[in-house]
Amino acid sequence: MASVLPRILHAGRLAGVTTQRTVGVGAGADLVGSAEGLATQDMVLNIGPQHPSTHGVLRLRITLDGERIIDAEPVVGYMHRGAEKLFEVRDYRQIIVLANRHDWLSAFANELGVVLAAERMLGMEVPVRAVWARTLLAEMNRVLNHLMFLGSYPLEVGAITPVFYAFRERETIQAVMEEVSGGRMHYMFNRVGGLKEELPAGWTGRARTAIHDVRRRLPDIENLIMGNEIFRARTKGVGVLSQELVHAYGVSGPIARASGVDLDLRRDEPYLAYGELDVPVVTRADGDCLARFQCLMSQVKVSLDLADQCLDRLTTLPPGPINTRLPKVLKVPEGSTYAWTENPLGLNGYYLVSRGEKTPWRLKLRSASFNNIQVLSELLPGTLVADMVAILGSMFFVVGDIDK
Amino acid sequence: MAFPGSGLAKGLAVTLRTMTRRSVTAQYPDVKPELPPRSRGVIALMEENCTVCMLCARECPDWCIYIDSHKETIPAPPGGRERARNVLDRFAIDFSLCMYCGICIEVCPFDALFWTPEFEYAELDIRDMTHEKGRLGEWMATVPAPPADDPHGARAKEVDAARKSADRAEATDAASPDAAKPDAAPSGGDEPAVDT
Repeated sequence: MASVLPRILHAGRLAGVTTQRTVGVGAGADLVGSAEGLATQDMVLNIGPQHPSTHGVLRLRITLDGERIIDAEPVVGYMHRGAEKLFEVRDYRQIIVLANRHDWLSAFANELGVVLAAERMLGMEVPVRAVWARTLLAEMNRVLNHLMFLGSYPLEVGAITPVFYAFRERETIQAVMEEVSGGRMHYMFNRVGGLKEELPAGWTGRARTAIHDVRRRLPDIENLIMGNEIFRARTKGVGVLSQELVHAYGVSGPIARASGVDLDLRRDEPYLAYGELDVPVVTRADGDCLARFQCLMSQVKVSLDLADQCLDRLTTLPPGPINTRLPKVLKVPEGSTYAWTENPLGLNGYYLVSRGEKTPWRLKLRSASFNNIQVLSELLPGTLVADMVAILGSMFFVVGDIDK
Repeated sequence: MAFPGSGLAKGLAVTLRTMTRRSVTAQYPDVKPELPPRSRGVIALMEENCTVCMLCARECPDWCIYIDSHKETIPAPPGGRERARNVLDRFAIDFSLCMYCGICIEVCPFDALFWTPEFEYAELDIRDMTHEKGRLGEWMATVPAPPADDPHGARAKEVDAARKSADRAEATDAASPDAAKPDAAPSGGDEPAVDT
């Protein structure tokens, strides 16, 4: 009889422990109707590493009791490229190449952290035009990043249309980014001491048009999805992240602000030209998926306004250089510094230790997504499998930024 | 949300409005995209300018440039001494490794490498992504002129220096038209602005 019954290998709750169970017709049938209900065993389900909702290779080990998640563990590292170790054998220009790749949606903001750290160690004064141009490009990069998630998140919860509108806007801004830097994703436009090249003639006008166009058409995305009853039902009150959890896990960026944590380095510890700008910090109190999405939407508007202000300043500044002349071999003096920036997805920090060589001795990278994703192990238990996709999508992460 | 379904109706209104507008779809293979001159599509090589200094190969973050060369001696002219010259045998870029950072182009001291926005060089075999110098030289025809700089920017020192020497050479030419030497025009006088 036993040989006829299908045998199913069943993964236990702990890694490495496997229990073998023989399942046959009528297993547990005598318990039906009794007070204990149907005897079921917890099921361990692997979401990913190759699953469409994990945009990349994030793996979640989820223990299920029926439809309900009782335990979730993010398993990271499938895309570890050893960025920090590679930084140690690259000079500062080559580091920029690698740094803009760990979070491929906020390449400009990543480059910025590296050059800010190096400039601080060198005690280098960056030309005013470069500072304003960097601020402008960083805000445009933020818009690009947020538009990506404004499109992909509805896609994950089943709304296909908004992504086309989001990509139309992305294309508009990407066109001006490509014109100035030559790249659509990996801009490679920052250099220690400024920017790579002067802005092309007439670019500021085209950038203003692009920003204007995006602002004009943004209500399309908002009208499509924000009031949508199905979207609200999937996201409102789902995956509520408390302030305590935000602080315990070091969650940052729009996700933390959606839980009412009022922290934004652009206002609280201004770098670049943010000290001269009035940065309105978008916060929400609810901390659910909808609040996180709304936070992103409002931040796009804020960033577009900031970008406009930067353009105003950039066109009224007196003529001047956009970069500084560097020695043939750039050596950063001995010492250490920590430069952190408000990246689109959260706090991004570079801890630079130099021993006076042309390569850093150590460049520690603190990326936003890595911390943001850890909180899933607290957020997911108690929710349903269907909500898991909604929560996962609303954590706005880039797998490269998690695994580095 | 005044009545149930108003959110859905609002979304459908956007869809309806968009239906009346022209689509943004680009008819790619039939209509080629217009790319800005700075676009990083592929790297072109001007072989004549290369002096085999190996800077590009050394600075490349993932070492995807292969250079082979040999030395050639130029026989001594009367009263001179013989000179050695590097001759480029092989210059290849493996575009399956290239990260398109443009450092090689930046470090090239003799302007032998250029970006061009061309991008249609996909291959079925990864080994075909290694472009030898012949293929890299073909891309030279597609290199666009660099865009003019923003008038608010400061001109690079090299541009001013080159212009000054060009003006000076012109003045000497005009003063003594008979003594005009063929090498009076300074090299790089009309070259595009050098990146700093």
